[in-house]
Amino acid sequence: MGGASEAVARVGEEPDVVTGEGAPAARAPAGQASAGWKVLPIVEGLVLLIALVLPWVLQDYLTVFATRVVILALFALSFDLVWGYAGIMSFGQALFFGAAGYGVALMARDLNVTSILLILPAGTLIGLSAALLLGGFLLLGRYPSSVIFVSLGTLTGSYAADRLARGWYYLGGQNGIPSIPPLTLGSYEFEEGPVYYYMVLGILVVVYLLCRFLVRSQFGLALAGLRENEQRIAFFGYKAQHLKAIIFAVGGTIAGLAGSLYAFHEGFVWPNMLGVVFSTQVVLYVLFGGSGTLIGAVIGTVIIEGVSFWLSDNYRDVWPIILGVLLLLVIMFRPLGLISFVLGERERVGSFGKAPKESGNAAP
Amino acid sequence: MSQTGGIEHHASTFAAVFEIVSFGAIIVLVVLGLGIIASMMGIFNFAQGEFVLLGAYVTYLAYAHGAPVWAGMIAAPFVVGALGFVLEALIIRRFYAAPIVAMLGTYALGLIIRESVRGLIGGFYLTVPEPIGGSIDLGSVHISAWRFTIIVITLLVMGACYLLLARTSFGLRVRATLENPALARASGISTPLIYGATFAFGAALAGLAGALIVPVFSLFADLGIRFLIQGFVAVMVGGVGSFIGPVAGAGLIGTLSAALPWVMSPVVADVLVFVLAIAFIKFRPQGSLLGKGSNHHVD
Repeated sequence: MGGASEAVARVGEEPDVVTGEGAPAARAPAGQASAGWKVLPIVEGLVLLIALVLPWVLQDYLTVFATRVVILALFALSFDLVWGYAGIMSFGQALFFGAAGYGVALMARDLNVTSILLILPAGTLIGLSAALLLGGFLLLGRYPSSVIFVSLGTLTGSYAADRLARGWYYLGGQNGIPSIPPLTLGSYEFEEGPVYYYMVLGILVVVYLLCRFLVRSQFGLALAGLRENEQRIAFFGYKAQHLKAIIFAVGGTIAGLAGSLYAFHEGFVWPNMLGVVFSTQVVLYVLFGGSGTLIGAVIGTVIIEGVSFWLSDNYRDVWPIILGVLLLLVIMFRPLGLISFVLGERERVGSFGKAPKESGNAAP
Repeated sequence: MSQTGGIEHHASTFAAVFEIVSFGAIIVLVVLGLGIIASMMGIFNFAQGEFVLLGAYVTYLAYAHGAPVWAGMIAAPFVVGALGFVLEALIIRRFYAAPIVAMLGTYALGLIIRESVRGLIGGFYLTVPEPIGGSIDLGSVHISAWRFTIIVITLLVMGACYLLLARTSFGLRVRATLENPALARASGISTPLIYGATFAFGAALAGLAGALIVPVFSLFADLGIRFLIQGFVAVMVGGVGSFIGPVAGAGLIGTLSAALPWVMSPVVADVLVFVLAIAFIKFRPQGSLLGKGSNHHVD
């Protein structure tokens, strides 16, 4: 049936951001041995291609759904940067997503601001500041924070924000803020549908490319070191906590961008957007698709959302259980996620930045 | 806390104190198992809230099938403990090396349990009557007999846990395994069995907690989540690696959560407790996780 094929098609749909320009960027630095052809650019290209043609294939209401998935994929990227690349378990990533969503919803409601030129920067800024605050508090300081403390701290932050939003009349309490007007550019209104879809897809592509550049730079190398062995990185003279705070802030920024797009796309915000529900959802996306590969986050989002949408008619009750079982299996037997079926270890680790002066690409 | 219903007795300080203590006792009961697993095994069990839920569900099942409520309450810890033992052997055991993976794995496990229960009971709030109903009258003050019973049982369970871990040979083995697994194995202690038993014990405590609180909070699928985060925060405030730490943390967090709404808006109180707790942990990490217990696990 239609739904099924669309759901499957969606796997590739959105994400792929990377391909076009991303591929050369990845290749150039990978100066070492010619590794034959690479899987990653192909996967990325395929995903982008499917994402581009999707609105022509799908019915309108499915395009609306696809738009939502693209936005969630952007959100997933933010978590993947933080966890997959820097090893910071942010169990409260929705805090930044939701805070930005609430922030822009309030701008629309109380200040009548709906211009995309103001809304997106504002949402991004909210995400950034929230992440700087929380990340600065949790990650910086005299004692390096344990990984467990950071994960529980972010989880608690997200949970507390959810409770606050639920109980605060100004924020609409349980119901959140309904009927947000459409995003505008001059007199043009972004309605749900293909236009919104392509706008969001464009943003995803740009952000993806930026992320891709970031994680393949020397900074990305330091992050990878951080993830693999924080102590050693500290011995090399890096300020590990600062690196973590920076990438955490970058993650929050992207989550804020995604949150503001989501708020205007859905037309309302509600407390779940801030809370544990979305925070854990994004963890599922990334673990499922494959953390530490940007495209894995995107694919994970697409698969989980797609299948869940497809199943929601018939198997609504069983789906969360299946999801839990799948997740458990992935964690136990495929810790690198589904992408690891096609992506080799060597390519996943990849290479980083321009090696200074042709001599090894180690850290300066 | 609002549903605990203390509001109508504005008057009596005693009633307020009772409310606060009884909520504190409930949190202690929930945290006990969490704390034992975190301290003894170094993993934060995200499925603990669902063990609480299962305990409540078992009690409800017994009641729905005509058995007395107290019988369900007695069965609950055994059922949940047995399940915990099996899960430890099949799944949890793989996660000891990496605490973060353990968090994610147990989260997935919790998701499966929670959604299964949700599928079984639907989106309803199911009530289970108190096995000991009515109230205890102290002059003009009436306190709920069941909540009083919970306080008493909590004290008994705490005492029993302490004796079990501190005074029995089983407790000695558990502590030896925690302190130095290799040496414990060399001394002939079966560490896998100890880990299994410890996890099962922690799960059983959660099951008991769920069974006891279900008359107060009624049964719904998200029952466990409500306590999970509070429980984690309590464990970290109290400090991992000792028996008394998490209990003290739970007492503190539970008391604060119940007491603050009497002096400020419940929403602010709720958030304030978390903020205070996280700040406390941040500035006293030795007292909490970093000090002990998980050092050797931090990756």
